[in-house]
Amino acid sequence: MSTAMNFGSKSFRPRAPDKGSFPLDHFGECKAFKETFMKCLRENSFDNSKCRLQSKDYLQCRMDNQLMTKEPLEKLGFKDLVDPPPSQADGDTKP
Amino acid sequence: MLLPLLVRQSLCCPHVQLTRCVRTLRCDAARTLRSQTEHFLQRRLPLRSHTQSRGIKSRNRKSKSQEEDWKNKNKTVLTYIAAAGVGMIGLSYAAVPLYRLYCQASGLGGMAVAGHDAEQVETMEPVKERVIKITFNADRHASMQWNFRPQQTEIFVVPGETALAFYRARNPTDKAITGISTYNVVPFDAGQYFNKIQCFCFEEQRLNPHEEVDMPVFFYIDPEFDEDPRMARVDTITLSYTFFEAKEGQKLPVPGYSYN
Repeated sequence: MSTAMNFGSKSFRPRAPDKGSFPLDHFGECKAFKETFMKCLRENSFDNSKCRLQSKDYLQCRMDNQLMTKEPLEKLGFKDLVDPPPSQADGDTKP
Repeated sequence: MLLPLLVRQSLCCPHVQLTRCVRTLRCDAARTLRSQTEHFLQRRLPLRSHTQSRGIKSRNRKSKSQEEDWKNKNKTVLTYIAAAGVGMIGLSYAAVPLYRLYCQASGLGGMAVAGHDAEQVETMEPVKERVIKITFNADRHASMQWNFRPQQTEIFVVPGETALAFYRARNPTDKAITGISTYNVVPFDAGQYFNKIQCFCFEEQRLNPHEEVDMPVFFYIDPEFDEDPRMARVDTITLSYTFFEAKEGQKLPVPGYSYN
């Protein structure tokens, strides 16, 4: 980790997350959304851009069940998904 | 001035007058001579004593004044040095808040950035040309009995786009275990562009017996990642989480042993 003996280069510094920590979903209230998201990822060879709708749904579920502080989705980087978009993901993002 | 008188007197009364005059002259001369020598001597004597005393006294005074001078000089130099030392110590104490202020103002160091991330998430545009593979790694401490693994081995993201990833943790034991985790990003330089919006690290997470939970990580790569020339050849970033057990008054175990 940061125990490498190279004093010249910068070592890694963990930073706290911006919005803190997710409360644990003990009751599995959003498990369904998570499963949809994982299914989407597997189908799209783990391309995040294609599954942003599902991730938005999962976060919305978390907010509804008080597992996450409520925030407008634009602040979470979903502003293109909140307004009715022409298509969810555009461009070929495969490597 | 005496001469015309003398000449007149000699003319008038030659012999006695002359001798008398000569005597007076002599007396006068002697007197003046005497007074002069006395005067001279007096002037000289104090001079001599003065020089002598100055010689001794003046040597003493000279050495004394020199010593005093040196003492004064030493004192001033010592005072300056002491002031410089105290100033350096004070500066080193003042450097901590000053450096923190500087870091906040300039955004360097990564630790002291405050506030710019929230607005950035709203306004950032994804850089769709640059695809980065994020691989996930899960570790736990040797004595930590959770089962902890990522739910996807990799995910492809672009800078400027928020992404979601899941880890799963399971407590197979019969007692509740509280864990706390930290993370690591490799390569280190890319770690500064890896921004977590929300995750499950640095806070105690308690798992009841035989409980299994999904742990999400919500993150994004800073769009400036694409503009950094040092990151031009970076295509894979590895996110690694490590869980440790968090217990009150716990004695850290020797690595390699685990209790059951």
